[in-house]
Amino acid sequence: MTHMKFLGTILSACFLAACSSTKVVLVRDANGTVGQVSVTTSSGQQLLNQAGESTKVTYAQKTPTTPVVLNKAQIDARFSALLANEPKPPIRYILYFKFDSVTLQPRSAKRLSSILKNIAARQSCDISIIGHANRSGDGNYNEQLSLRRATNIKAKLVRSGIKAACMDIAYYGENDPQIATPDGQIEPKNRRVEVQIR
Amino acid sequence: MRLPVLIFLLLCLTSAHSADPIGSVKTYQPEAVIIHAGQEIEAAVGTPIHTGDQVITHTQGSVGIIFIDGAVLTLGPETRFTIDEFIFNPAEKEVSFIGNIIKGTISFLSGAIGRISPESVKIKTPTATLGLRGTKILVEVK
Repeated sequence: MTHMKFLGTILSACFLAACSSTKVVLVRDANGTVGQVSVTTSSGQQLLNQAGESTKVTYAQKTPTTPVVLNKAQIDARFSALLANEPKPPIRYILYFKFDSVTLQPRSAKRLSSILKNIAARQSCDISIIGHANRSGDGNYNEQLSLRRATNIKAKLVRSGIKAACMDIAYYGENDPQIATPDGQIEPKNRRVEVQIR
Repeated sequence: MRLPVLIFLLLCLTSAHSADPIGSVKTYQPEAVIIHAGQEIEAAVGTPIHTGDQVITHTQGSVGIIFIDGAVLTLGPETRFTIDEFIFNPAEKEVSFIGNIIKGTISFLSGAIGRISPESVKIKTPTATLGLRGTKILVEVK
């Protein structure tokens, strides 16, 4: 009787989730950083926060299994076809600016030639220019300042022969600081433009 | 007369905005297709990706995509993945990524959306919901 009930639960679970199971593995990114991932079902949650840690969900009504750490061979066995075809992660440059200005700091100005070299090496026509400002001054003003910084860098790259159509502009104002600060604080590291080459 | 014109222009603007690509194909092994607005497109390096698209790989197929926020998604063979939601408006702090893996294998490396709002990157599977707080995961759905 209990057997039948158990079988019934399994069958209905399989029916609902098309008899599907999920395996999740947390891994290091190209910089060696490990983040966190939560795995949630209707009856519970597991949090993975170590490199190689893995959990499995056999059906939607079940709590994810207790995490275990997989070694490289175990990961490759399942994911090698996928890992062999991963795109190179975007190349990121961070350029710093003078206070309340669209003028680059001298050391950052020198990095433009390296940016041009990497765009050429990747033959990239998929480049983002992302402007930021620090939290000194008005938020709306800083939004416009971050846009002007990005526009200025795009103009420099256009003058160096990069097609304008290959670049898009984004601006975050104060919303994505490199260093978190209270509002109103001057922070040179947050006055920046990120150039992302994909 | 002027109001309908204005509404028409607004509609044009909104639809043009939602049609902007959110990423593009960077690596490709045949065979793989992208279902965009009900049309099947053979994947190739440079194929644009839009919100709502489904990416499907076959027996030997693989597709690597980089999104405009720098996130990297790779599909292994025999995989189906849909991008349900992609909102990237960092100046207004409106960001969200919701993906859906129906079957197969993927790797996902989160980008600026995850950096700005760690709770806003989610991947759904038939049995679970994954909440990413930065960096990289591998997922297999059988």
